[in-house]
Amino acid sequence: MKDLVLVPEALVAAVAVFILLAGRLRWIRPAARRSLPAAVTVVVLVALATELWAGATLSTHFGGALVQDRFALFAKAAILLAVGVAFAVVDWTAEDSLFIGLAMPLLATFGVMVAASAGDLVALWAGLELAAATGVVMVALRRPDLALRLLVTGGVASALLLTGLAFLYASVGTSDLTVIREVLFNGVPTLALAIPVFLVICGLAVHATLVPFQLAGIPASLGASPLGAGLVLGLVAAAAATVAIKLVAALTPIPAVYSSFLEVVAAMAMVGGGAGALAVRSPRARIAYLAAGQIGWVAAGLVTHYRTGLAASLFLLGAFAVAATCGPAVMGRADGGEPAIAGLGVLRPARAAGFALAMLSLAGAPPLAGFFGEFAVAAALAQSGHFGLLALGILGSVLSLAAALGSLRVMYVQSPLEEARRGSALPVLTRLSSFGAGAFCVVIAAYGLFSNPILGLANQGAEALGLR
Amino acid sequence: MIWQAIAAASPTPTPVTVPGAGIFSSPLLLSLTIWVPIAFAIAIAIMPNPRGRYDVLMKQIAFFTNLGVLFVLFIAYNQFQTFLPTMQYEEKVPWLPVIGATYHLGVDGPGMTMLVLSGAIGIVSVLASLGIRERVRSYFCLLLLAQATVNGAIVARDMFVLIVFWGAAAIPLALLILGWGGPRRHHAAWRLLGYWGLGTGALVIGAMTLYAVTGGASFDMDVLLKAAISPRVQLAIGLLMIVAAATRLPLFPLHGWARDVYAEAPVGVTVIVAGSASRLGAYLLLRSLVAAEPAAAHLLSPLLAALAALTVGYAALVALRTVDLRQTAAHLAMVPGGITVLALAALSPLAIGGAVLSFFAGGLAAALIVGACATLSDRAQSRSLQVLSGLAPRMPVLTWLLIISAFAVLGVPVLATFPAELMTFFGSLKTQPIGAFLVAAGLAVAAVALATVLRRVLFGAANPDAPGVSDASLGETWYLALLAGGLMWVGVFPGGPKLPGTDTPLFDPGLVNVMSAGISDIASPYTGPNPVTGQ
Repeated sequence: MKDLVLVPEALVAAVAVFILLAGRLRWIRPAARRSLPAAVTVVVLVALATELWAGATLSTHFGGALVQDRFALFAKAAILLAVGVAFAVVDWTAEDSLFIGLAMPLLATFGVMVAASAGDLVALWAGLELAAATGVVMVALRRPDLALRLLVTGGVASALLLTGLAFLYASVGTSDLTVIREVLFNGVPTLALAIPVFLVICGLAVHATLVPFQLAGIPASLGASPLGAGLVLGLVAAAAATVAIKLVAALTPIPAVYSSFLEVVAAMAMVGGGAGALAVRSPRARIAYLAAGQIGWVAAGLVTHYRTGLAASLFLLGAFAVAATCGPAVMGRADGGEPAIAGLGVLRPARAAGFALAMLSLAGAPPLAGFFGEFAVAAALAQSGHFGLLALGILGSVLSLAAALGSLRVMYVQSPLEEARRGSALPVLTRLSSFGAGAFCVVIAAYGLFSNPILGLANQGAEALGLR
Repeated sequence: MIWQAIAAASPTPTPVTVPGAGIFSSPLLLSLTIWVPIAFAIAIAIMPNPRGRYDVLMKQIAFFTNLGVLFVLFIAYNQFQTFLPTMQYEEKVPWLPVIGATYHLGVDGPGMTMLVLSGAIGIVSVLASLGIRERVRSYFCLLLLAQATVNGAIVARDMFVLIVFWGAAAIPLALLILGWGGPRRHHAAWRLLGYWGLGTGALVIGAMTLYAVTGGASFDMDVLLKAAISPRVQLAIGLLMIVAAATRLPLFPLHGWARDVYAEAPVGVTVIVAGSASRLGAYLLLRSLVAAEPAAAHLLSPLLAALAALTVGYAALVALRTVDLRQTAAHLAMVPGGITVLALAALSPLAIGGAVLSFFAGGLAAALIVGACATLSDRAQSRSLQVLSGLAPRMPVLTWLLIISAFAVLGVPVLATFPAELMTFFGSLKTQPIGAFLVAAGLAVAAVALATVLRRVLFGAANPDAPGVSDASLGETWYLALLAGGLMWVGVFPGGPKLPGTDTPLFDPGLVNVMSAGISDIASPYTGPNPVTGQ
């Protein structure tokens, strides 16, 4: 039973490697390729079911490098759900490669799962880097120039992160997260500790495409395929946020070393994300900035350095992962600017509904998943007395909501344009993608309406990190 | 005699158990008013509609959904117990126990009044929208969602639920304006979003402050609004609630959306915004300031009175100078809101009774004036007061309805706004004499503005260069007549309509008693009757 908890990771990694090999060695006949996305979706859902069934068992693996606790259970389940739904909704004719398009999100998922279960700094870093690397591969399929930019920027972020983690290790004398926390209980905030934490937060902010650290992430997401954009905006950002939550939990005994800087980062991301979304017109760019704004809310929850705040951040992270990963994917080919989605509500109602809900959820509109997460973070901010940050977050949400409504207007209120003026083809309808779009809508709506058990699990997750 | 009886605020006899009460009851009565419109909105959204074949069916679905909700409200009203000092039809289900949020619904007297108003406005807004020809599915889907959010905000007994519906209301309304509004619809929609977003932000921060100072355990209004908190914190929360209410009602200087929205939104949307959605601002003030934060209410009552006077005065003066009929109506629709706020500022039992009556009467009056002017503009093919002239002989129905709407804004006897204004002024002359005088002066200016508009548009010399005009259609006559009829009914029977088989008037002072129960100096002198004697 103990090793059963590793089955989801094993399934995801094995299927990813198998698909890469199958694509390279032509193991799968062209006729059978059509059903491959459905088969992989089923595998991911099986992994999710296994995680929910067996993941409740608390255990450690590989000498403490991986820890299965409630936090890992929540984060892994959320990411598996996001990827499963994304595979179901994506328009595969709009992707550059079926095999790489399936394998890279699976590897990114594996990376997030490793980061979520990480017991030490090495596993945290490895999981995040794996997820970030898959993003580069996905972007490279369509836009090698943007992939290079993403690679260089990601490399700088990794260098900052690695330097920060190394200094942190040097300061506390251990890489084990639990031990770091115990050591810091008797520690005092020093510059030697604050500088590495500053570097780590900078590195994570770049990976999470937080405004104003969106140098490469958002442009790369604009050039990538729909699923590639979902991977960069959703999965990589979720990996960075997962690492941030685990690190902040370890550092909570001395919040002075990170809270001020994190507060500034969160404020800039929330307001900047909303303002950025309002400033751009392209739906893909808009969803990228909305995602950046919401990840700012996740960061704001960490500022509270209390269990309720971290639980709220974790809860919001689940909603964010689903919406940010599936949002670009559900849009399909309709990524050529505002005319591409004109009248989509009439032409592709299920996809339009999915895209609309993704945007509204990322904007924090009630009563969708993102709103519940942001509200929970807001409650935690109020409890901890961060009313200034709360006000800025609300400002960012209002800006985001205005931006999201701008796209909704184009989709539902404008009449459909003819093919030539549209600029890109409409998403291809398949049985799987129509079902996926419906399932996505249900997940986004139900996440908030049935948020009681989900937030309860997130709370247990935060408790598992040692927070009270 | 009628108003003397109102001014005395004398108790009415006990509503004894009547035949019919309790026959139909549901533990989900209030939920039905929220989720039935949402369910039918989803049904409309996913219903196949090839080439608009089922457009009429969708209109019928929207109409009968609202009629069904009104029937549910009829039952709720019929079974409402006026003398209970607690919320009624309560529903309480844990929603987010980790942060203390519950799905808690309930109504008291003012809530019931607002619900009845919302139900009536729902029907009226569908009737006013029968002329919609483009994208019928999206329109009625959004209209039903807007209706549901307003109902949700009224019955919310948990700040979390209130914020959900309060915030969500802006989304369908903004989309309706963007999709079906006039030439300046973009401007109107973004202004609505901006101002209402600001108000929602203030409400969230106010609710979060309350949450934090009460221990961060619950968002339930029973906890937040009954907690003993320091006057300084009360003042901060009170100011935030005033900002939230001022953006919604609207009150000067946070009224920036009103002119564009009332002038550019389609008629059905204008009616719902002016009639029920904007009344939520006054309802919030009553709920979260007057009846919850006594120290802040006393400290801020002069500010409220000043805002009321500024709103009425500003609206009347601008209406006097505007040359666009719909913009004139937009400004005049702000007048009832100002009077409601004066009533709340007075902090006297009589004035608060007037405020509750004013929710209903003011909502109907505001909806009627903007609806009548919008319909008249559509039918006359012009909004310019320089073009519209001498229309009375050619549109007799609309002429009568416009005159009634003008009288309703001014509070002329026989209309529901009259007892509301009478109670307001009688109740506020002692506690807010300057505010009451200034509001009355503003009302006089509004009368001049209305007289000027009526004289020019209806009774002036006919303009030979004006486009052709036609009188109101059957649907338009119905929706305006329903609003006018509601105003007259409550105006003639200020205690409110009595339902067959019951002896419960709609605006029994006992309704208000619940609201003021916690605050001794504004508590109604009204006392519960002796259960034995019934006296």
